[in-house]
Amino acid sequence: MTEPRVFFNFGITDDSHTLSAYRGRGGYQALEKALRTMQPLDVEKEVTTSGLRGRGGAGFPTGSKWSFVDKKSPVVYLCCNADEGEPGTFKDRWIFEHNSHQLVEGVLLAAYALNVRHAFIYIRGEFDLSYRRLLLALEEAREAGLVGERILGTEFSCDIIVHQGGGAYVCGEESSLLTSLEGFKGYPKNKPPFPAVKGLYQAPTVINNVETLATIPWIITHGGGAYAGIGAQNNTGTKLFGISGHVNKPGIHERPTGYPLKKIIFEDCGGILGGKALKAVIPGGSSTPVLKGFEIENVTLDAESVIKAGSMLGSGGIIVIAEGTCMVRLLQVLTRFYAHESCGQCTPCREGTAWMDKVIGRIVAGQGVKGDLERLEAVTSGIMGNTVCALGDAASMPVASFIKKFRDEFEYYIEHGRSMFDGRLEI
Amino acid sequence: MIELKIDNRTVEANEGETVLQAALRHGIEIPHFCYHPCLSIAGNCRICLVKVTGRPKLMPSCNLAVTPGMEIETDSDDVIAARQAVMQFITLNHPGECGICDKAGECRLQDYHVRYGEPESISLEPKNKKPKFYDISPRILLDSERCILCSRCVRFTKEVSGSHQLGIVERGNHSRLERLESQPMDDPYSDNIIGLCPVGALLSRDFLYQSRVWYLEPIRSVCTGCSRCCSVKVWRRNRHWHLRSLGEEMNRKVYRVTPQENREINGPWICNKGFDLHKFMGRKRLLQPMIGGSVATVDEALSEAKKLLAAAKSPAALVSAHASNEELAAFKETLGSRMTVYSREDYKAEEGEVVEDNILIRENKNPNSHGVHAMFGDLPWSVDSGHDLVLVWGDNVDYTPMGNAKVIHLASFEMPQERHADVLIPISTTFERSGSFTNFEGKVNRFTKVFDKPGLVQQAGDVFGRLGA
Ligand SMILES: Cc1cc2nc3c(=O)[nH]c(=O)nc-3n(C[C@H](O)[C@H](O)[C@H](O)COP(=O)(O)O)c2cc1C
Ligand code: SF4
Ligand code: SF4
Ligand code: SF4
Ligand code: SF4
Ligand code: FES
Repeated sequence: MTEPRVFFNFGITDDSHTLSAYRGRGGYQALEKALRTMQPLDVEKEVTTSGLRGRGGAGFPTGSKWSFVDKKSPVVYLCCNADEGEPGTFKDRWIFEHNSHQLVEGVLLAAYALNVRHAFIYIRGEFDLSYRRLLLALEEAREAGLVGERILGTEFSCDIIVHQGGGAYVCGEESSLLTSLEGFKGYPKNKPPFPAVKGLYQAPTVINNVETLATIPWIITHGGGAYAGIGAQNNTGTKLFGISGHVNKPGIHERPTGYPLKKIIFEDCGGILGGKALKAVIPGGSSTPVLKGFEIENVTLDAESVIKAGSMLGSGGIIVIAEGTCMVRLLQVLTRFYAHESCGQCTPCREGTAWMDKVIGRIVAGQGVKGDLERLEAVTSGIMGNTVCALGDAASMPVASFIKKFRDEFEYYIEHGRSMFDGRLEI
Repeated sequence: MIELKIDNRTVEANEGETVLQAALRHGIEIPHFCYHPCLSIAGNCRICLVKVTGRPKLMPSCNLAVTPGMEIETDSDDVIAARQAVMQFITLNHPGECGICDKAGECRLQDYHVRYGEPESISLEPKNKKPKFYDISPRILLDSERCILCSRCVRFTKEVSGSHQLGIVERGNHSRLERLESQPMDDPYSDNIIGLCPVGALLSRDFLYQSRVWYLEPIRSVCTGCSRCCSVKVWRRNRHWHLRSLGEEMNRKVYRVTPQENREINGPWICNKGFDLHKFMGRKRLLQPMIGGSVATVDEALSEAKKLLAAAKSPAALVSAHASNEELAAFKETLGSRMTVYSREDYKAEEGEVVEDNILIRENKNPNSHGVHAMFGDLPWSVDSGHDLVLVWGDNVDYTPMGNAKVIHLASFEMPQERHADVLIPISTTFERSGSFTNFEGKVNRFTKVFDKPGLVQQAGDVFGRLGA
């Protein structure tokens, strides 16, 4: 394979996740290099040069996020966002299960760059193997002098604290992650202040996704320039894509950004189950607007291309939907999720998500009436942009886009009291 | 000073102010539920969204710091649309029961619904059911269906009273205000949350269904519960709404006592004792002048008292810490120089009462000890000071320490005694006179008469005038 690989660069065996295996693949050499030959600012510069954009969903340039932090502040915190809760997203889990050390090294490099003494990993509570693998990796790293006081005999010390989430999707939103970490109910906060100024315990804080941080060792080893040379121009590097839904071989694939969406579905994942036609794709986790099958024709997996098609790259969780799927009932699965996960703090999302779920539920139960679609559209526009955190938008975008793209199906369902597609999807 | 534009009007704001604060200070109304000047910013209700030129999204004005040259619109089409949407969301599961809700008439939601909402809901779904009339304390009922989850009450117990007794539990639209401990709330400042609540979710048990608020009017008064002398509003029935069919008692009644904001003394809060001021004033009154335990007219009682005073060789006076500054001055001018003056504290902390804290409550449970001390010093009464007559002024008096001295007593409330006063003259309560107290910090606070005094009851100042003449 000629394509560079940041993650999929080893064969998975029973002990490929251990420290010795990781070291055997050159693990922790980036840390050695940084601590011995680079200043913290050099690490940040490499990351800026790499063009790396956050992998948590918003795609914010990582170097620029780091540059907002006042490194002279007596305390700076780093939080790794490992709450991975968006339906359709399961890439961070792969990193934990197969290569926790790569994340630990990434956390240490970021901590070094940002002058962080204590870094936190907020891991999704439902993750079990991931959690155990992470703890094991940390234990090994501590014993090997890679975490804790005077790492690798240098002046640099950093402890990594792991915190398990309590099962709330909203705690993946960065400000509520901090509130939760502080021991409070996971309510998102209004911005400003931004975490880079006032974050965890009121100190400047950087929050980065697992995949984002786990990419840093590669960047330090090979240089930011090398990373910037991979993939699409404004959205560089490789990325983990989790493909689920009606494909023959669902799973995680690492591909350079700019890779054709169609190719990943039809070649890498073996095409649609049962040879059905492609009906639709949700390209970046359940909150991103749905695309119709024909709309993905020229879409490549980078922020710009997906935005141009009318959606977002998000977290890279690609949900593939085969012909014959009832979009009304599919939407109900999503609205139920968001209504359940709304923290309830702010009015539009608290009331609106539950309202949308009730209306969709009524339609699915065959009780839909004329005007329901306009009602749903009014609710989405009442929520979008008006909430404390982006969960409100995340809940509204699927509703708005499903209705826009599959209006005929919704109208049919309302008029006839049943789906256009009766029974189960035969595959 | 920072200059910004709100709706094309140039407005001066202070450094560190928010757009909402600057707008309100200049009389530009921006609706707000969760914002309160004395609490932290929650930014959760979203009714205060405004448009900032150059920003793609509407911003909550309560959490928006003013910056020079900023341009704000509070009534553009998108702001109005967002406001209507938020009103629709807030009322989505809100029971339309203003007809039976004590808050009606002073309810922010009701007002805003008229001003900013759409008349009709676009929802077809049945409203959510939540617990109604749920006790959070023996004093307060919670109606969770009416609660709009603005968290004002929660922030109050965290940031002002410090009891941390309330929180919002569950999430999404199952969210619900709840006490955080299994036992009832016993926060001594709890009743502030009733008025703080922008809707009728927190209800005073004492005031429950007593009156529609538009029949009532507030009179500015002062709480006599301790030497803080908090400003209060005493709510009586508006004269236009005095109805014969209600009877004397309902027409002449204090319906409730609420805080009167006073930046100098108590800010916007009072303690629960202040909320109970009408109960304190409503105890069994002394209404009849007496001589040696037998009924007398006012004139008889006064001339008997005058006689006793003239005969006394060594008269003394015990001055009440509930006397107003004006009454104290009248006493000083008429009788004060003729007798030894002792100061007394009418009331001490009762069992279970908060003695003192660092919020409002003071250890001295009387309003005007400061005024008494300033005028007469603070000599305490002692049994063997050898006086043959004592003029006792104030309530809660035991005559036993007076020994064999003659007793002339001016009091407002009944109190059983072992022996009778030689002369007993009923005097007005704080609700029946105007005047001022001086609080423990030396700050003077004025109160206004709420009701006329009952027939035979006297004003202490007049009594001294007649006795001294
Ligand atoms: C409702 C909600 C849930 C989120 N969940 C996650 C998550 O599980 N993991 C994650 O990395 N980012 C999540 N995010 C995005 C984070 O807020 C944040 O942007 C991200 O962690 C930043 O990291 P990055 O810059 O490395 O992408 C979520 C955002 C929202 C609004
Ligand atoms: S948008 Fe939803 S999840 Fe976010 S703060 Fe508001 S209620 Fe909570
Ligand atoms: S809280 Fe306000 S709007 Fe709601 S029922 Fe009571 S008076 Fe009406
Ligand atoms: S009870 Fe009132 S003050 Fe408390 S959260 Fe509900 S609406 Fe707000
Ligand atoms: S603090 Fe004192 S004066 Fe104020 S309300 Fe309470 S008892 Fe009355
Ligand atoms: S007043 Fe600003 S969000 Fe409630």
